[in-house]
Amino acid sequence: MNTIASQFTQSASSRLQSEYADAQRDFSNAPQLNLAPTIELPPISQPTEFLRAHTDDASNPDCKIKIAHGTTTLAFRFQGGIVVAVDSRATAGNWIASQTVNKVIRINPFLLGTMAGGAADCQYWETWLGTQCRLHELREKERISVAAASKILGNLVYQYKGMGLSMGTMVCGYTKKEGPAIYYVDSDGTRMKGDLFCVGSGQTFAYGVLDSEYKWDLSVEEALYLGKRSILAATHRDAYSGGSINLYHVTENGWIYHGNHNVGDIFYDIKEKEQSFNNVDA
Amino acid sequence: MDIILGVRLQDCTLVATSKAATRGISVLKANDDKTRILNTHNLLAYTGEAGDTVQFAEYIQANIQLYLMRENDTELSPKATALFVRNQLATSLRSRKPYQVNVLIGGYDTKTDVPALSWIDYLGTHVELPYAAHGYAAFYCSSLFDRHYRKDMDLEAGLDLLRMCVKELEMRMPIDFKGVYVKVVGKDGVRAIEL
Amino acid sequence: MSRRYDSRTTIFSPEGRLYQVEYAQEAIANAGTAIGILAADGVVLACEKKVTSKLLDKDGSAEKLYHINDQMMCAVAGMTADALILVNNARVTAQTHLKTYNEEIPCELLIKRLCDVKQGYTQHGGLRPFGVSFLYAGYDDRYQFQLYTSNPSGNYSGWKATAIGANNSAAQTLLKKDYASDMSLRGACELAIKVLSKTVDSSNLNSDKLEFATLSLGADGRVVRKIWSELDVDLLIKELGVLEKADEE
Repeated sequence: MNTIASQFTQSASSRLQSEYADAQRDFSNAPQLNLAPTIELPPISQPTEFLRAHTDDASNPDCKIKIAHGTTTLAFRFQGGIVVAVDSRATAGNWIASQTVNKVIRINPFLLGTMAGGAADCQYWETWLGTQCRLHELREKERISVAAASKILGNLVYQYKGMGLSMGTMVCGYTKKEGPAIYYVDSDGTRMKGDLFCVGSGQTFAYGVLDSEYKWDLSVEEALYLGKRSILAATHRDAYSGGSINLYHVTENGWIYHGNHNVGDIFYDIKEKEQSFNNVDA
Repeated sequence: MDIILGVRLQDCTLVATSKAATRGISVLKANDDKTRILNTHNLLAYTGEAGDTVQFAEYIQANIQLYLMRENDTELSPKATALFVRNQLATSLRSRKPYQVNVLIGGYDTKTDVPALSWIDYLGTHVELPYAAHGYAAFYCSSLFDRHYRKDMDLEAGLDLLRMCVKELEMRMPIDFKGVYVKVVGKDGVRAIEL
Repeated sequence: MSRRYDSRTTIFSPEGRLYQVEYAQEAIANAGTAIGILAADGVVLACEKKVTSKLLDKDGSAEKLYHINDQMMCAVAGMTADALILVNNARVTAQTHLKTYNEEIPCELLIKRLCDVKQGYTQHGGLRPFGVSFLYAGYDDRYQFQLYTSNPSGNYSGWKATAIGANNSAAQTLLKKDYASDMSLRGACELAIKVLSKTVDSSNLNSDKLEFATLSLGADGRVVRKIWSELDVDLLIKELGVLEKADEE
C-alpha cells in the first residue's frame, strides 16, 4: 500500500516539477528566434547541393520534385492607402497544379503578406510571422510596426540563406506611426521599403501596366482597378500566372478584401470596356 | 552592378553610391541608400551579395555603436574602424558562410583633423587610398580619378570630379543606376549633399 | 554569526556584506606598500620589496612591477601568483585590442576589462576573489598621463597620487600633505621615496627594499617606461638625500 502511495506522490510531484521547469524554460527563452520552430536538415553533407539537384527544373528538367514557383503579385502605396493584388495559379514545372491558390496571407487584421516563390515556404513562415506579431502585441501592448514585422521575417530568412528557401514577399500594413507601408522581403535576405513592388515571374508585365498609369493621387476605386488590371496583364502574358485575381485594400482601419475575380470572366469585359488587348479577337 | 565611389579631399571625404536596387531584370527601387552611419565621423558604403550587405553593415554599425556606449562616447578613429571591419571580414571569410560584401569607409579623424578613405573587399584586403571604387564602376572611374584627382582638392572640386564620374558611368554603363547619393564626411560629421 | 556566510563567496551576509571580498582586501592591507604619483611630465610607481634574502637568486626582474603594453605598467599589492594571472590577462587584452584596431588600448578600457574579470570572481559560485590590488600607470592620447587603482571587488578609480598595501592610509595622508599638481617627475620620485621612508618599517632604506618604475615621454614623443635597476634606485636615494633630510626633521 505504501509503495503504491509513494509511487503516486512521487510521480505527481515530479510531474509538477517538470511542468514548472518547462514553464521556467519557456519564460527565460530569448524573446524572438528561440520560439521559431527548427527545421531538420536532410542527412547529407550539402543540403543546398541536394536540393538543387532534385528541385531545380531549370538546370535539370527531369528533377523529381517540382516546387510551385510561377506567380504575379503586386502592392503599391497611394493617397488612399495600399492596394494589394495577386493571381492564384500554382505551377509545378509545366503542370498547372491549382487555379485557386490564396497568395495573400492575412497575418493579422492590419498586416498582409503576399506569396511568390515556394508556396510552402511562404505559407509556413508568414503564418509563423503572424504568431510572432501576436506575441509582440501581447508583450508590448501595442501593435507591431510594419518595419519590425518585416525585419523579423527578413532576419529569419537570412538565417536560412543558401539552404534552399525560396520566397519573394511583400509585407503590407498600416500603423499610426508609419502610415501605410510596404516592405519587400526575399529569401536572399533582401529587405527594403518602397512605394510600389511587383514580384514573381510575371512581375515585368505587371510593372508595365502599373508604372504607366500609377499616380499617387489615384482614387481608391481607380487604384483597385489598376491593381486588378496589372495582374490581368501579367496573367495574359505569363504562362505561369493565371486563375483569378485576389484584391485587397489596406487602410488605417486594417485591410478590406475586394473579392476574387476570375481572369476568364473579366478579361473580355475589360477588353470590351477599354478597347484594349487588340491582339485578341473578340 | 551597384556603384560605390569614394574621394578623399583636403578637409573631408566624399562617398557616392548608386540609388538603384536591382533584382534579376527589374529595378525594384530607385531610392536605395547603400550606406550606414557607424558613428559621427565614419560612414560605411557597401556592395555585394543581396542580403549579406545590409546584414553585415548593420552588424558593424551595432558594434561600433556599442563601443561608443561602453567607452563614454569616445569615438573609434577611422583607421581603427577600418581595421575592425577588415578583421570581421577576414574572420568571416574562413567561416562556413562568409559575408560577400565589399565596402568603402569614409571617415574624418577628429584628433588629427585628417580625412580618411579605406577600401576593403570581401577577402579582407584593406588599403587606405585617396580615391577608390568597387565593382564595374572602378573600371570606368579609376582612370578618371588618376587623371583628374589632385591632392589639394576642396569640396567643390571633389563634387566636380564625382559629376565627371557619374557622367561617364551614365554614358558607358549598360544599365541605369538611377543616379547617386553623395555623402560628405567632414569635421562636423556626415551630411548628404546634392550632386 | 558571520561564519554561515563565509564559506561561499557569492552570498551576502545579513548586514549586506561580502566577507570573502573584504577578507581579500584585508590581506592586501598587510602586503608591501605601493605608491603611485602623477606628475606633469610622467608617472612614478614605487613599491616596498618584501622578499629580501641574500640567498634569493635575482633574475633581474622586478618583484611587483610589470609592463602591460607599450604605454602601461602596473604595481601589485597582494598575492603575486594571483596578480600574474591578471597581468597575463591584461597583456592579452591589450594585444587583442591592438590587433583588431591597430591602436593601443585606452588605459581606462583595459582597466575596465580587468575589473570585469575581478568582479566576476566575487559573484560566480565556487570561486574566490583575486587577492590583489593594482596601481596602474599609463599614457594614452585621450587623457595623457594617468594613474589608477583597482581592488579585489572589481572597483577602480583614477588618482593624482595614491597608495595601496600596508600603511596605505598613512601614506595617503603624507601624499595629501605634500602633493602639488604641477610637480615634475623628478619631484614625484623624491616625494615617493620620502613617503616610503616613513611608511616602511626599516631603518635603512635602499634598493634592497625598494622598487621603482617611471613612465614618461621621450624626445620623439613616444612613451618611455622604465623599471629601475638597483643601481639607479640607490643613485636616486643618494642624490636626493631624502633620507638624511627625513632624519633631520
